[in-house]
Formats: sequence, C-alpha cells, structure tokens
Amino acid sequence: MADDASLRLYRALVRQDPAAAISVIERVRAGGTAQAALFDTLFAPAMAILGGSWADGSINEYTFTQAAVVADQIMSFVTPPAAARDTGVAVLVGSVHGDSHDIGKNIIAAALRDAGHRVLDLGVDVLPARFLERVEETGARIVIVCAEMLSTAHAVQRVHEMFLSAERADVVLLVSGAPFAADTRLVRAVGATDVVHGAESALRLVGRAALGHLEEGEG
Amino acid sequence: MAERSPQVLLAEGLARQGRTAPAVTACQQALRIDDRDPLVHCLLSGLMLSEGFCEQALASAARAIEIDPGCAPAYLVLGLAYDRIGGVWNRSVLVWQELAEVVPDLAVAHVQLGEALCAAAFPDEAVAAWKRALEIDPRDSRAMYDLAVAALKQEGMATALPGFRKAGELDPSQDEFFFALTGFDTDVTPAAGVGEVGPDAGERLAAAHAFAANEELFKAAELIRMVLGEHPDNVAALSLAAHLYLKQEAVNEATACALRALTLSTQTPSAVYALGVAFARRPALSDHAAKLFAALTVMAPGHAMPFVLLAETRLALQRYSAAGEAYRAALALDPGCVRALFGEAAVALAEGDFTRATWAVRRAAYHDVERSGHFWRLYDAAVEGGAQ
Repeated sequence: MADDASLRLYRALVRQDPAAAISVIERVRAGGTAQAALFDTLFAPAMAILGGSWADGSINEYTFTQAAVVADQIMSFVTPPAAARDTGVAVLVGSVHGDSHDIGKNIIAAALRDAGHRVLDLGVDVLPARFLERVEETGARIVIVCAEMLSTAHAVQRVHEMFLSAERADVVLLVSGAPFAADTRLVRAVGATDVVHGAESALRLVGRAALGHLEEGEG
Repeated sequence: MAERSPQVLLAEGLARQGRTAPAVTACQQALRIDDRDPLVHCLLSGLMLSEGFCEQALASAARAIEIDPGCAPAYLVLGLAYDRIGGVWNRSVLVWQELAEVVPDLAVAHVQLGEALCAAAFPDEAVAAWKRALEIDPRDSRAMYDLAVAALKQEGMATALPGFRKAGELDPSQDEFFFALTGFDTDVTPAAGVGEVGPDAGERLAAAHAFAANEELFKAAELIRMVLGEHPDNVAALSLAAHLYLKQEAVNEATACALRALTLSTQTPSAVYALGVAFARRPALSDHAAKLFAALTVMAPGHAMPFVLLAETRLALQRYSAAGEAYRAALALDPGCVRALFGEAAVALAEGDFTRATWAVRRAAYHDVERSGHFWRLYDAAVEGGAQ
C-alpha cells in the first residue's frame, strides 16, 4: 500500500502536479497513517524512486529539478510543523530593577518562545510593580526574574512581596542569574520557587509549572 | 630586499619547523648582530607567545613596532598576547585597530577587533567589525560564527542557528570530512578537463571527486552523469551527486540522490552524511538529521565532524545539554576544532554560563589563528617588503 502510494506520489512529482501529490498524501493520511509517519513511509520512498529515475536516465535533469520544486511545495504536508504549537502558557520574563544584563534573559525568552509558550519580555531594569501590572493584564502565572548582580538579586524579594501584597501567591516566581546559581539559598531568601539555569532548565521548569507540578527547589 | 644574516634565516627555519628553543637562541644571536631588525624582534615575540610567555611576547612585539610602526606581524602577536592575558581589552582594541589600518584588507584584524570590542562590552561596534570582516572576505567563517553568537545573545538560538550552519559550511573541514568518508584521494591534482579522464568508471569517479574537492562542480557533475549512465546503481556516484547538489543549495535533489544511495546500501557513510546535511537544512527534520548524524558517529569513528553536526541538530531541537555532550566529544577528538568551540560557547550561553562561553570563543580564536597561518603570511610579506 505504502509502496504503491509512494509510486503515485513519485509520478505526481514527475508530472509536476502538486495537486495530485497532495491528493495522494491526503488519501494516505485518511487511510490512518499518522502525520509523523508520512515523511518516512510515503515521501522518502517517493524521493528515493525519483533519485533512481534520475540516475538511470528515465527522467532528465530538467524534470528532476522541476520534480524537486514540487517536492518543496508539498513538503509541509508530510513533515511535522517547524514551529512548535502554541502551548497557551503565558510567561513573563524580565531583568529586575537596577539590572541591565539581558543576554541570559534574551536566550531564555527565545527558547520559551520557540517551544510555543506565550512570552512577554519586559526588558531590563523592570520595576517590581511592573511585573505585577503585567501579570494582572495578561493572566500569566509564571514569572521569570533575571538578576546577574548580587545587589540586584536581593531586589527580587520586592517582586515577591508585591505579588503577596496583591494576593497573587498563585504566581510561580522563578529566578535566573549567576548569584542564584552560585548560592541556591538566595532563591528561597527572595521568595522564589526555583532557579532557572539557562534555556533548557527554563523549558523544563516552565513545563512543570504549567502543569502545576512545580514544588519549591526542584530546579 | 635587504640582505639577511644567516642567524636570521636559521631562526626563521627553526621557527617554521616548530623547534622553538633553538629558534629563540638563533633570534637572540641575530639580535646581538643587529638589534634593530624589527622582524627578528617580531619572530622572537611569536615564539614567546607560542610557549605562553605573554609578557616577553609583548615586550618583543612592542620593540618591533617601535623600530618599524608598519610591522604588521608584530601587531598580530601583540594583539594575540593582550587577548591571551585578557582583561586589557582597551589595549587589545587599539592594537587590532592599528593592524586593520596597517593592513586594511586583512579580515582577521577586523574579526579580532570585533572580539575585543565584544569583550570590552561594545556589542554593536563588535558586530560592525565582524560585518566589515565579511565584506573583506565573505568566506571568513569565524566572523560568521561571531555574528551567530551575537544573534544568540540578542534573539536566541532559532535566529543564531542558521548562522552557525552557514559558518560551518564556509569552514572547509566539513567538505574535507565528506571526502574522507568517500575514501577517494582528493589531494591529487585534477585533470585539466573532463576529456582527459579515462573511460573507466573508477577513473571517472576518482576524477569527479578530485574536481569536486577543487570546487569544480560542473566538471564533477559531468563525470558523475557519465558514470551513472553506465552504472545507475553506483552508490559512490549517487553520494557524490548528493554532495554536489548540496553545494548548489538543491536540497531536494540531494535528498533524492542520497535516499537512492541508501536504498541500495544502508552502510554508505557518505550518503548518510549527505542525507543528514539535507535534513538538517529543514528545521522540521532536525530529529531525522540527529538520528543520521548519531549513526555517523558510529560509522566514522575518530572524526570530530559527525559529533559537531549531531550537536548542531540537537541545538535546533533545544536539547542543549545533549548538544554540549556532543561538542565535548568532538573536542576530545579535535581540541582545536573551531566550529565545536563556537558551539560550546553557544551551549554555555544557553546554560547561562557566560564565563565558559567567553573562554570557548577565546580558545576558538587561538586555534583559528594558529591553523590559518596568518603570522607567517604577514611575516613573509614583511620580509618581501610589502604591507601584506
């Protein structure tokens, strides 16, 4: 079945008929083949046939190139989407008041965005009240506050106090930066739930926080 | 060109052979005869730096510049010595600016200037310097790596990764790895034309690989077409065809050829490589690429490149710690692999370890300058009496 479909897909490519190619793909998908399997079971064998036909001279260079163009056009039908799906999880990210370091914050924000989270980057030198305002506006429940200096790391406590005074203890406060990595006691001292050690750690902690599984000190 | 003493020639010869201690002695003897020869001071400076004696290197390079303010190789050593010491970025910046003025079309001066500016917390000026380096030499992979790292700092990995890949493709070591996988000797001088190649398929394949290694892609393609005309199931020809298509950014054609080769023989490392590279160019297929490169690490043991390629696909998949493991495996095989060092810097940045990132970039700079032979090019040009 798959071999037959691959042959039909190959023929559609050689005829430079993207509509027919998509029709083959849709029929295979309707037959129960998962999207994740379409590339391996349908597209790759069709491309192997295409390569063989070019090699043995059944099709000429021009036809080969045109078939490759059609293959490009239909690629998105057989591959998983390149961008991650929207998780619906909103995350606020910002460097605390008095701190202008942004590299770590930028990388964390980009990684979360690439993973499909809704990231609101507040920038650097963000006042504690601003974090609270944006939490109220966006409904975000996860906030990552970055601080790269010991003096500014202590200032994160004011963000925590701001959330408590507004009765927003439900907000998961994560911290990031060298002072917290060097002394994890500081994480508790400022009232944060956990410390983010870079992009991968951010993805893991936000994933767990989104599921409501994050307990203090897991990072 | 002024007549040069036998001691100077001896010192140069020994230095080129890497025999540092006798070369230093010869330099000192040469300076006893003429202590106003800037090139001998410069040579001594380079030798001192190669042994890690930064202060002595600084002193000798400064003396060379004092005697001849246009002594380009002395600026190179002076800048490298300041960079090696670290923490004196204002001086590094000044030296690299001087070198860029003395030899305006020297891309590495702008690359180094950018790295010094970046370390001195002038990121925008650093980016401008790297862009200038690419204007001078569009194939300068280190400038491209530096720009990718800058993009990572500002906009994250998804923006930076194409830059890393582009830099990797500019780096000739990736093509060298492909040809190493094929088993064909590409060090031979290719024939003048396709017509001079014998009719045997083996001869044609060998010549096609030699042409491809010399970037004569159309001649290589013509020969491959001839081979496939007689032997359409020739796996080596299909793999090289895939490589040639990749060189021309024809990813789907490359995919088709590599898949056909692997249909005929799954144990063809060059086809696995070509298919992996083709898949890696499509973000949605990063996982497929990672599997192929993981297989390649087993099929081609002892090579750093498959680990580098594996690491880059893991970066695309946001598996940073796994990417770091692959980069470290690559560096264990080749400690001077510039691409792996920049990758290590990217992983360190993603993990929030800025010190490790800076260190990796500095190591990359050191190995890149060592490998590219800039010192000797500038030195030989100075001996000949030109600026470069």
